Amino acid sequence: MNPILEFRSVSLGYGRTVVVQDVSFALHQGEFFGLVGPNGAGKTTILRAILGTLRPLQGEIVRPPSASRFCFGYVPQRDTIDDVLPYTVGEVVLMGRYRKLGLVRRPAREDHDAVGRSLDHAGIADLERKLFRDLSGGQKQRVLIARALAMGPDVLVLDEPTNGMDLSSRTSILTLIAQLHSTERLTILMVSHLLDDVANHAARLAVVDRGLFQVGPVQEILTGENLSSLYSMPVTVERMGTRTVIIAGQTHEPS
Amino acid sequence: MRGRRMNPAEIFDILISEFPVAVFGSSVVGAACGYLGVYILARRVVFFGAVLTQVSVLGLALTFLPALAIPHTVGSLVVTLTFALLLPRALRGARVPADTVLGVVFVAAIAVRILILQHTPKVEVAEIENLLRGDILFVTSELVYPTVASVGVAMVVLLSLFKEFGYITFDAETARTQGYRAGLWDTAFYGIAGGVIALSTHLVGDIFVFGFLVIPAATAMLLSRTVSWILLLSVIIGALAPFLGLFFAFLLDLPASPSSVAVAALVLLIAWAAHRLRR
Repeated sequence: MNPILEFRSVSLGYGRTVVVQDVSFALHQGEFFGLVGPNGAGKTTILRAILGTLRPLQGEIVRPPSASRFCFGYVPQRDTIDDVLPYTVGEVVLMGRYRKLGLVRRPAREDHDAVGRSLDHAGIADLERKLFRDLSGGQKQRVLIARALAMGPDVLVLDEPTNGMDLSSRTSILTLIAQLHSTERLTILMVSHLLDDVANHAARLAVVDRGLFQVGPVQEILTGENLSSLYSMPVTVERMGTRTVIIAGQTHEPS
Repeated sequence: MRGRRMNPAEIFDILISEFPVAVFGSSVVGAACGYLGVYILARRVVFFGAVLTQVSVLGLALTFLPALAIPHTVGSLVVTLTFALLLPRALRGARVPADTVLGVVFVAAIAVRILILQHTPKVEVAEIENLLRGDILFVTSELVYPTVASVGVAMVVLLSLFKEFGYITFDAETARTQGYRAGLWDTAFYGIAGGVIALSTHLVGDIFVFGFLVIPAATAMLLSRTVSWILLLSVIIGALAPFLGLFFAFLLDLPASPSSVAVAALVLLIAWAAHRLRR
């Protein structure tokens, strides 16, 4: 697979504070890549560097010429959005077209068509006229995914897409992301502090925590021994059919 | 205005025939503050708006110092724009909470203004107090027309960039990933806000400006369920309330600016009651 973007010994941080150090990895076209680690480990910092909103303190981030015009569709954590103003779902998704439109110009027919298609892909065509702020967490997440799709992305970058969701919404969002990967052939980069979410969908994985950075195929990274060493606590990795289950802490047989 | 109480028709006639400049100026400024206020509320920077009105008054007061003999509008604009552009940056890196810094600037601006008044000849103190109280009725066309033109230009810019300012307000992080330089857009917004507040405060006073930055937008948010309608309704309330305020100022012998704010507040109260009944 062709690399879309390559980190070469990159250190990242804010001002004089270094958050992650000496990170090297590549993101390949068409893959489902997971970036996991506990809260505050530096996942969002790496994400910002990938999206180009944070410059490295050291090292370089290289985009090959073949991927220089690739569009990254970003799906932020829905809690970061301030929905005081009552935007409709259609209006929120239309925001994904603003950059293509340019300053001052108003959306044209093709932009509204793109919004319709994105809503269809996200399975929320019926919500177009609803207010974003009135939706459930799962519905809001789908709207933000639809907005990223409206950009016409080559890569979909999702920051904690299932954070704070119940089991049903979480499964539904993960299924949608997997579908977009398989049917739309989108490259997926998913950031999560929930190992399980990433373990069952990503092919490759990077784990970041307290200065540590490991990257490799899911089977290599997600072993009990590796995770126990990484998190300094007992971690068991179980395979249940096609699914991977990660259990933290000591496991006891019921007495 | 004391003596025989005039009937409503007489008051309307007088307002239209004798004070067209005051009616026009206060309505335009009210509409502009109404539009700007929607973004002020959406960005949760209401206290910042209050600080800028006081800083703007400080800028006006400074021009009364003999050592700083510059036009009032220039003084107000320079001081307000300086604070409008520097304060948001200062707040980002501050070790104390943002509202604490704003509180300090707010109270310091008022204190310095009072100190300036102590060292100003009595005649000019009366002029400053007129400015602060917002004697809309006695504004001159030489002040109103340039102010309205400048505020109008600022509004055209805000309206032209409606979708961009909306996007940055709603989700600055994602906008940034699409190449929008959120810091620059914030600077543009606060620059426009500072300019409009400085010019408007000179014309209609601080109570009017702050009142119209908050009340029409809050009313519109209660009554409307789409962003476009909120903006439109806020502008309409902002434009009409000063006219009614002037009407009641004549009818009840009240100062014009507080009267306009009271009318806007009454509309808000009615909207709130309607909103409660509808739920």
